[in-house]
Amino acid sequence: MAAEPHSIPHRVTGWVQQRIEAVGAALLAGSAAVRELWLVYIATWAGVARRASRRRVPQGRQGRPGQARGAIVHQLYWIGNRSIVFIAVTLGFLGMVMAYEACLQLSRVTGDFSQVGSQLLRLDVSDFAPTLTALMLATRVGAGIAAEIGSMKVTEQIDALRMSGVLPIDYLIVPRFIASLIMTLALTVLGGVVMYAAGGLTAKYSFGVNPHVFFDASMVRGRHVALLIVKAAAYGAAIPVVAGFCGLRARGSSEGVGWATTAAVIGGSFAVLVLDFLLSAAALVVFGGDL
Amino acid sequence: MTEPAAFIEYRAVAKAFGDQPVLRDMSLAIRRGEVMYIIGTSGVGKSVTIKLLIGLLRIDRGEIWFDGRRIDQLAERALVPLRKRIGMVFQSSTLFDSMTLAENVALPLRKHQRLAWPAALDEARRRLAQVYMAEHAERYPAELSDGMRKRAAIARTLALDPEVVLFDEPTTGLDPVSARRIDRLIRELASGLGVTAVVVSHDPPSIFGTADRVALLYQGAVHALAAPADLRASPDPIVQQFITGQSSGPMETPGF
Repeated sequence: MAAEPHSIPHRVTGWVQQRIEAVGAALLAGSAAVRELWLVYIATWAGVARRASRRRVPQGRQGRPGQARGAIVHQLYWIGNRSIVFIAVTLGFLGMVMAYEACLQLSRVTGDFSQVGSQLLRLDVSDFAPTLTALMLATRVGAGIAAEIGSMKVTEQIDALRMSGVLPIDYLIVPRFIASLIMTLALTVLGGVVMYAAGGLTAKYSFGVNPHVFFDASMVRGRHVALLIVKAAAYGAAIPVVAGFCGLRARGSSEGVGWATTAAVIGGSFAVLVLDFLLSAAALVVFGGDL
Repeated sequence: MTEPAAFIEYRAVAKAFGDQPVLRDMSLAIRRGEVMYIIGTSGVGKSVTIKLLIGLLRIDRGEIWFDGRRIDQLAERALVPLRKRIGMVFQSSTLFDSMTLAENVALPLRKHQRLAWPAALDEARRRLAQVYMAEHAERYPAELSDGMRKRAAIARTLALDPEVVLFDEPTTGLDPVSARRIDRLIRELASGLGVTAVVVSHDPPSIFGTADRVALLYQGAVHALAAPADLRASPDPIVQQFITGQSSGPMETPGF
């Protein structure tokens, strides 16, 4: 009976214990980070509410630097307008690849292209347009936000803001959050249109699919459009919060800013994919086979 | 219980970063209206000490009292009124680089005193004129020299008429003439306006020319607390090593 525990050498159990402790420590750090991220998200919504309640009081002092409306307009331009070409080009190429692949497979199996356009549009609306747009924005917008806030953090400008009576989340994340919510939806629509148009042209010139057959919205239902809006809003909310959170956690010097930027791109993309999974699963549960 | 004589009081404060302890058992009482210098080698926790006071960093153990009230447990939003009374001049000036000098000085006025932007900007220009920076009010921090940025940062801090000003190495990186001007300004704030100044420094002319009292931090605690003249005369070998700047001696400095 006593022989059993002694049959495993002591250094093996020590090694196993070390591994378990290392995994445990990583899990604890990870769950603490997720909790902090969640607190930043809540604080961002609180900041949005504070901003909205302040806006009702007419102050006659709009349009100054650091002022609510000025900051949001600036971020709308930075996140939205400056991403138009990037989103159009990337989603255009993805649309071409997808239409080509779909037609290629169909030509090998049935050769019937009558459904390809309407099915692709359904997929574009309910998933590809919001998710691919957000993945692209997570890189461009997330990196920019994390680098800016991260460099403010390591140069003590965040501390100086706090000393100036400013809540950093209200001042730095909230304008980006509001702008990102609006612009992710706008760019999703743009990206979806470009993607579908590029797909239609590819189908016509590569496989001779008649555009009248391809451009067919008969499969798209209200629930698909609703899913597009919900997904775009969820992604638009997640990207600036994850990036701002990474920026605020930057430590040290330029190396810390680099870390924050990388973490923001990885974390933002990951958040988009996780949200995509959760929202798609929820939609399946709600709508069942009708989706 | 609370000692009424102390305006600011650290009681057995401990602070660690990860598993790296910085302050272990730091107690220090600062009187109203005095110029207190906190000195010590790099990395000993001088800047940490003043950042703990205004909640930019949180203590792990101990208590911090300000004006008869315990402040180390206040939430971020409860600290906002405190940060109006206690100003801080950061080590590298730390102006907001996306704003002009006038906007930099106007931001705390707008947030803490609820001034509208035009009024805050007017007040900011007046404050900048007091430190001879009026003609640079519309320029950005990146266009200016270190000394000019420091003056603007001081104007930003003093714009709120704080009762306490924390200076994080105010003379580091400045030429001797600018450095002595900063020293004189700190002295004038205390003597003329009754402002309490807590200055982190390792610049001997600044320490011995300006301080009322000096606290030497060593190994996470206050090792010596004395008036500058008494500190000079102290027989303590660690104090002597620091103020005479000897590379060898009893002082153990981490990592160097």
